[in-house]
Amino acid sequence: MVNLTINGRIVQAKEGEMLLTVLRREKIDVPALCHHEAVEPFGACRLCTVEITKEDWNGYSNYVTSCLYPVEEGLIVSTHSPKVNELRKTILDLFLARHPNSPEIRQLAADYGVFKTSYETVVDGNNCILCAICTRICDTMGFHAISTVGRGHGKEVAPPLHQVPPDCVGCLACALNCPTHYIEYTFDNNYLTIWDKKFELMVCSRCGKKTITKEFAEYLSKHRDIPFSYFEICDECHRKELAATMGQITSWEREA
Amino acid sequence: MNYRFIVRPNLCTGCRTCELACSFTHSIDNIRGITRIYPLDGGFKDLWVPVTCLQCEDPACIKSCLVDALRLNPETGAIELNQDICVHCMACVAACPFGCSIFDKQHDIIVKCDLCGGDPACAHFCPTKALEWKPIEVKKKKVAI
Repeated sequence: MVNLTINGRIVQAKEGEMLLTVLRREKIDVPALCHHEAVEPFGACRLCTVEITKEDWNGYSNYVTSCLYPVEEGLIVSTHSPKVNELRKTILDLFLARHPNSPEIRQLAADYGVFKTSYETVVDGNNCILCAICTRICDTMGFHAISTVGRGHGKEVAPPLHQVPPDCVGCLACALNCPTHYIEYTFDNNYLTIWDKKFELMVCSRCGKKTITKEFAEYLSKHRDIPFSYFEICDECHRKELAATMGQITSWEREA
Repeated sequence: MNYRFIVRPNLCTGCRTCELACSFTHSIDNIRGITRIYPLDGGFKDLWVPVTCLQCEDPACIKSCLVDALRLNPETGAIELNQDICVHCMACVAACPFGCSIFDKQHDIIVKCDLCGGDPACAHFCPTKALEWKPIEVKKKKVAI
C-alpha cells in the first residue's frame, strides 16, 4: 500500500495503480475524455492534468497527466489548484478552437468558464478529438478494424486505406464509447451501416426482435466457443423458454 | 460460510414482489433500475417460475465478453459486470442462453444479477420463500478406514 495526499486528504492506494483511478475512486471530479477502464491509458486529451509535489522537492511542483502517472509514496496532489485550472482552461480553449460544434466540448469548456475560443477557429473542423478510444477498444476486442491514419493536421480515425474495413463486425463499441459521438451509424430495417459497411442484423425467430449483427454472432461462435443457436432467439424469448422448461419440471414434480 | 440462492417455482405465487425489490435495490440516482428477476408463467396453470441468472459454471456471458468486464466473484459465486470496463457491445445479452443479461434502456447500461453483493434483496422480500438465500449444508463424507 502507498500513502499519498490528495487535496489535503491522506489516501491509500495500491502500488502500480494510476493516479486517475485513485481520483475516480475517491469521487474527485477530474475531467478526462480519452480515459476508459477497458483499455490502457493513453494521455491524449491532457485534461486530467494535476499538480504534483513532494515534501523534499523544496517547493517545486510538476504537472502530469494523472491517467499515466503511477502513484508514489508521499506524493502531494492538488487537482483543482488555480494553476491547474488555468492549464485546463487553455487546453479547453484549444479544443474549442478545433471542435467548435461539439456539444460535449462546449459543455465541458463552459464548466471551466471558457465560452469563446481565443484562438482562430478551424473552419472545416469535425468533432473527432483523436482520443483514440475507438481504435484502442477495437484493438482490445481483437478486431483491429480501424486505426488512426496520417500525421499532424491530416491525422484522423479511419479504416485501412479509407475502404470498407474487412475486419469490422459491427459491434458498435467504437461509436457507443466515443466521447463526442462523432462516429456515425444508421439502422435501416434489418441492416446496420457503420464505416460504410452494411451488416445484417440477427432477427429473433420467434418475436422478430433485432439483436447483434450476424458477423458479430459468427465471430463469437467461432472464436469464443459459443453455439450459434444461442444467438438465434432474443433474450426475452430465452427467458420464456427457460420458464417453460422449469415449469414442465415443476409440474411433473407436482404430479408425482 | 458458503451460501446458495435457491429458487422453488412450486412455491411462487407470481406476486412480483421480487421484481419491485430488485428494481428499487438497483436504482441509480433515485431512478429505478430494470429488474434482474422475472416471474414468468411457463404456460402452465397456477405455476410461476422466477427466472433469474443461474450463475452458470461455464458461462456464455464471460466467454462472449471481449474486454473482460464480466468476472466471477469467488466470495459470493456471482458473475459480476464491471460497469466501468463494459463497452456496451451487447455480446453478453445476445449470448446468454437464458436471457439473463439485460439491457437497461433507462440508464443505457447492461445489467445482470449480481446477487446484490452477497445478500439478495428478492430473497428477503419473497413472502412464500420461493426465493431463498441459504447456507449450504456440507454433508460429511463417510471415509473407509
